[in-house]
Amino acid sequence: MKIVAMDVMSTGVIAYYVAVASRNGLFTPIFINAEKRSYADPVPQAVILTAIVIGFSIQALMLVGVMKLARDNPTLESNEIQKNNTP
Amino acid sequence: MNNITVAWAALPFFLGFAIYLIPKLDRYLALLGTIISFAYALRLFIEESPLTLQFLDNFGVTLMVDRLSAFFILTNALVTAAVILYCWRSDKSAFFYTQAIIVHGSVNAAFACTDFISLYVALEVSGIAAFLLIAYPRSDRSIWVALRYLFVSNTAMLFYLVGAVLVYQANYSFAYDGLRDAPPEALALIFVGLLVKGGVFISGLWLPLTHSESETPVSALLSGVVVKAGVYPLVRCALIVEEVDPIVRIFGVATAFLGVIYAIFENDTKRVLALSTISQLGWILAAPQQGGYYALAHGLAKSALFLTAGNLPSRSLKELQNKPINTPTWVVLVVGSLSISGFPLLTGFGAKALTMKNILPWQVIAMNIAVVGTVIVYAKFIFLPRGEGKKPKPGFWAAIILLIGWLLTANAVYYEAYTVEGIAKAFITLAGGWLLYWLIFRRAAGKLPSFLEEFDHLIGVMSVISVLLFWMAFLCLDI
Repeated sequence: MKIVAMDVMSTGVIAYYVAVASRNGLFTPIFINAEKRSYADPVPQAVILTAIVIGFSIQALMLVGVMKLARDNPTLESNEIQKNNTP
Repeated sequence: MNNITVAWAALPFFLGFAIYLIPKLDRYLALLGTIISFAYALRLFIEESPLTLQFLDNFGVTLMVDRLSAFFILTNALVTAAVILYCWRSDKSAFFYTQAIIVHGSVNAAFACTDFISLYVALEVSGIAAFLLIAYPRSDRSIWVALRYLFVSNTAMLFYLVGAVLVYQANYSFAYDGLRDAPPEALALIFVGLLVKGGVFISGLWLPLTHSESETPVSALLSGVVVKAGVYPLVRCALIVEEVDPIVRIFGVATAFLGVIYAIFENDTKRVLALSTISQLGWILAAPQQGGYYALAHGLAKSALFLTAGNLPSRSLKELQNKPINTPTWVVLVVGSLSISGFPLLTGFGAKALTMKNILPWQVIAMNIAVVGTVIVYAKFIFLPRGEGKKPKPGFWAAIILLIGWLLTANAVYYEAYTVEGIAKAFITLAGGWLLYWLIFRRAAGKLPSFLEEFDHLIGVMSVISVLLFWMAFLCLDI
């Protein structure tokens, strides 16, 4: 559950980046001979793409870890797992 | 030099993949990577002016390396090499070496870059690789500790990302010096990410459990270099943007105290070492200009101590007082402890002297008390009995000779510290600390509650720290 909550957080961050990018305009900045419009800023979008990939891979990695843990002691309660594994 | 820098930054990652393709050559390739980093760091010391690289436009990747980063890179190279030598004859698979060299490379990248997004990528990569290293034994506990680590660091990095985009919004660039014109909330969010990642102050209390429950070589690697990847950007920001310098110093002093107090009342060898890492990170932050040298001294001594602690007959200090330790192992333990306590002839002494010279007047009293506290903590190790005992693992000596050899060599960097006054001061502090230890703390059995280390509190503390940082930033940037 906590991992899913973390994913929601990261979605929020991604949405914020997109919002920052589109503050000055919504048009895709493609180099064509058209009249001047208000273009979206491509940099935050490019940057957040990296963050999306990293967030996704971390998500996958953590879910695998949780699956392994949950198979050995059949619970998903993080407090229980913590109690079993703290010295 | 520019090309060398780029090649050096990219090389560990190529080596990591190469190890996976040719598993037979794993340890040789990993060692090669650290040797190249080592040579590169030495090359940086010769360089007069800092080297700055900028790719693409003002929103591209920027790198900057100078003597400060050279110290950090040198620490990284030596500690990783020692860890690889330590594992040389163990049955670790190629996977372990791949992760080790990738951690090495990403930490190197964090030490070189000066823009927030490259730093983000470097820190996340080091986080994932460290996760895999901690979870390497595949036991339940190691997986839980690793999950906890990754969760905490990833949440912190999400805060950091929001801060980074606020900096971009203010400057249309992600470079560190943009922090000056950024709103205070940007500074607060970025710093909360870095403080958590670097294990500083109460936001760093994830560190004791993670570092003490990992395997011996992994704890040495984590404590020696990985946390410094979070601390280095703080130091660099304090140097680039003078306005945040007081914030970093305040956190430095507070951390030095917190770690020492926790460590004095601790009875488990590896936890003592991990908690003292927190306090030593505070020392690095307390005087940002000289943080590099201190980081070198701490990284070498602490990884030597962690490797030794893995070869002691027991982890409980109470039991160790009755069980003798093998004499050569004992000598290593004492040399490492003396270096961190600031004994002359070892690097720790010069580093302490240099830090003391560069702190501001309001920090002097606090830091002097912290020195005595450190001496008390390490007196626990120095006054353990020696004698016949179990021999350390093969590979131990190769790693230790490298680390201790450099502890002695690196003295030369700041030989001006050897004045009569300085040496006298060091001995008085040591004597005072040992006296206090024998009189009071040897029998003190109290243990501080560790409820702050619980998982939920770790996340909660992050928000508390970010509020605190916001007001600090508000006061520092706007007046």
